Amino acid sequence: MGKTGLPLWLRRRWPGLVVLVLLVLFPFVAGLAMGDPAGVPPEVRGLGRVLALAETGRAKFWQGMIIQVLILAVFAMSYDLLLGYTGIISFGHAMFYGVGGYVVGILLKHFEWPIWAAVGAVVLVAVVQSLVIGVLSLRVKGVYLAMVTLAFAEFFYILSEATDFRQYTGADDGLHGIYLPPAISPTDHRTRFYFLVVAFFVSMYLATRRLVDSPTGRVMVAIRENEQRAATLGYNTFTYKLIGLVASGLLAALAGCLHATFNLGVTPSVLSVGTTIDVLAMTIVGGAGTLTGPVLGAAIVHLLGYWLNRIFGPAWTLMFGAMFVLIVVFLPYGIVGTIQARSLQWKAGWQRWLQLMGVGAPRSKA
Amino acid sequence: MGKRYRAVIASVALVVVLVGIAYAGFGATKTASVLLSGLTLAALYFLLAAGLSLIFGLMDVLNFAHGTLFMIGAYVGYTAFGNPRLLLNTLPLFLALLAGATAGTIVGRPLRAWEQAVRRRLTAGEASGNGREVLRALLARLTPSLLLALLAVALVLWGVRGFPLDRLVAFEATATGGAIPTAEAQEPIPRMLLRLAQMALAGLLAGPALARERREQGMWKEGMLAGAIGLVGLLILLARDPLEGFLLGLSVDLRFLLALTAGAVVGALLGGLIERTLIRPFYGRPITQIVLTLGLMFVGTELVKAVWGREGHPPMTVPSLFAESCRSESLAAWLTEHCSSIDVLGRAFPTYRLFIIFVGGVILVGVGLLLRYSRLGMIIRAGVQDSEMVEALGINVRRVFTFVFALGSALAALGGVVAAPFVGVYPEMGGIFQLQAFIAVVIGGMGSYGGTAVGALLLGLARAFGDVLVTSGIPIPWAEQALRASPAVARASTVLIMAIVLLVRPAGIFGRKE
Repeated sequence: MGKTGLPLWLRRRWPGLVVLVLLVLFPFVAGLAMGDPAGVPPEVRGLGRVLALAETGRAKFWQGMIIQVLILAVFAMSYDLLLGYTGIISFGHAMFYGVGGYVVGILLKHFEWPIWAAVGAVVLVAVVQSLVIGVLSLRVKGVYLAMVTLAFAEFFYILSEATDFRQYTGADDGLHGIYLPPAISPTDHRTRFYFLVVAFFVSMYLATRRLVDSPTGRVMVAIRENEQRAATLGYNTFTYKLIGLVASGLLAALAGCLHATFNLGVTPSVLSVGTTIDVLAMTIVGGAGTLTGPVLGAAIVHLLGYWLNRIFGPAWTLMFGAMFVLIVVFLPYGIVGTIQARSLQWKAGWQRWLQLMGVGAPRSKA
Repeated sequence: MGKRYRAVIASVALVVVLVGIAYAGFGATKTASVLLSGLTLAALYFLLAAGLSLIFGLMDVLNFAHGTLFMIGAYVGYTAFGNPRLLLNTLPLFLALLAGATAGTIVGRPLRAWEQAVRRRLTAGEASGNGREVLRALLARLTPSLLLALLAVALVLWGVRGFPLDRLVAFEATATGGAIPTAEAQEPIPRMLLRLAQMALAGLLAGPALARERREQGMWKEGMLAGAIGLVGLLILLARDPLEGFLLGLSVDLRFLLALTAGAVVGALLGGLIERTLIRPFYGRPITQIVLTLGLMFVGTELVKAVWGREGHPPMTVPSLFAESCRSESLAAWLTEHCSSIDVLGRAFPTYRLFIIFVGGVILVGVGLLLRYSRLGMIIRAGVQDSEMVEALGINVRRVFTFVFALGSALAALGGVVAAPFVGVYPEMGGIFQLQAFIAVVIGGMGSYGGTAVGALLLGLARAFGDVLVTSGIPIPWAEQALRASPAVARASTVLIMAIVLLVRPAGIFGRKE
């Protein structure tokens, strides 16, 4: 075709690169547009001034919003590894997210571990936790698996609320006052934390993309499509589902770890069924079985929730629920999924429209 | 079948051992009252779980809105019992909407048929390359009926604007069976008639979107139906004051029966509506259905909060059969004395809770008989085994689906009304009871009716004993101190039971292996 110049890999990846550039530029733009000039001494000039502005006012707030969206996006991607790629309906995904948060919080606050060691511990705990839960729950399938995971998650939720461990978890008040090295403190150096989260998000996205495009990921999709067929072809489906669950649990735990460090605290509500339902909504709204879908879903659900809450007050969940039902009914494969499924049809329709208007080239009659 | 009996024996043995431990620990008196408390909870869990299990067994739908229907049933029953004025003022609006929609499906049928025809011609039109054909196809894509439906939604919103809901919902006073909202809370009849007209028009506009194509016969019948619904709504509105006087003049017992009926009927209607409109298009896509029912859970809970307030209300007044403040010696004595509590081996136990157990038992036997001996029950059981086969035999299994969904929802809503004098009504009650019902269904085995009953029983007893464990502790013969637990352990106990059962028998106690 006529398009030359751009290398193939760039042509295929430009939307992602554009998003990345926008994410990197955001603190500077936000600092200039929304920063509070009164909060910055006048003698600071140039780039330093922009960065200082980014730490003030609404610029800081919106960076926080994007940080939360990106953390939730990683969480939603991890859920999609199960729901969209392996075909496992889990209702207990919050347990990995929450336990990741609690582990890093307890280790940083009560044991004063260095941050790298605490994150290492999160990785270790997440792998062990998801292995144990996978071995126990993957014995059953479908709705039963949903129920077993729901039960396990409820167990962790109750554990986090139990008064027996108040000295560590803070029981139903939650764990607050996590100590973080000042250099990456989300309150004093929001922009640094922002870039940390962007780097985390991008690396996790690439890692997940690598996983789902790998032969292992293909087997996972085969299991989603037809588990018996995959087993007949000689794959040990249990192992692959376990790999999916462990990868997903690890990703969720890391997201939870960042959630705890950003908020400098964790509450039991993070472990509740509501968190799982939220992440399910993000995945479904964006489109299960795609990687960009959950990311978009996380952004939509979080930002929509924020705006609806501002407009309607406490009744916003009504609006949200109604919108949710409408999206499921009219876009059954989610936003990205439906676009992918319909894009060919839309393209054809658009060309026909142009042709009708006399703009496009008439279709050659073969 | 051998395995099945083993499961029965094992669960009976488990219950016997547990009761035995309790008996050894704190004697007959306390064991009896804990058992009865457990049975009360089990009856409520069963009312929810029976529908869940049937719906899942027959249609593979995991209904997350079931607890919401339970809660809505409780609220509707509470309202019918204590504040009929609210119902008498809102019911005509719904009926007008329904009448309009029914009439609209008839009037809108030609439009819908045209739309469908154009849509069908779409592919042909595209292939032909004929400009006008393509343009018409594009117009059909815009679907006039959808636009009309959106207009109808706007009209409904306009029609309920300014409706004095907050003044009509006066619960705090009615909870004790006392005052009702003042006469000024009601809007004058002409204003209400205007609202009714708006609702009917909205229904009419939504008609084409709801209409099904190619059903020529039965049109005048549906027209009569629409007229009848509209007339009933109008009559209720015009006679709202005498009707209200009549309802409030009834005895407490009759009003309680009315509340039970109203709850169950509303539950059945809502369940049938949900199945027909939202669940039916998505059979074979379980994730979509789960997510849809989740969305309905949000919407239902928020609607209830919007109408009845975010706070809960105290337990409903019990019928006079259970109202006298005294303590009967035996069931026979209670029948004449109507005491609020009864003597169980020397301890008082509320008689209303015995009523809950009674209702649970009646439903258990009634639905069991329906499933076992009626033709419909036979179709349902066959459908649980293999619904495609049933359909292949020429039975309209879709209609059975709707019936079972409505039946399950009615049972849940009835359970809500029955629970209202025991736990009160609050928006969160749906979720709380639903989780336990889920666990009961999973323990028993999804789709197994008897298994659900056993699961509910196990769970109710576990909860009752868990509560004892927290409040007074269970004495251990060889230990000095009684074994006590934090409330977390009691809450976790049901979850642990479920995990253990599923690890031993992945399909539940009575479930069939996939």
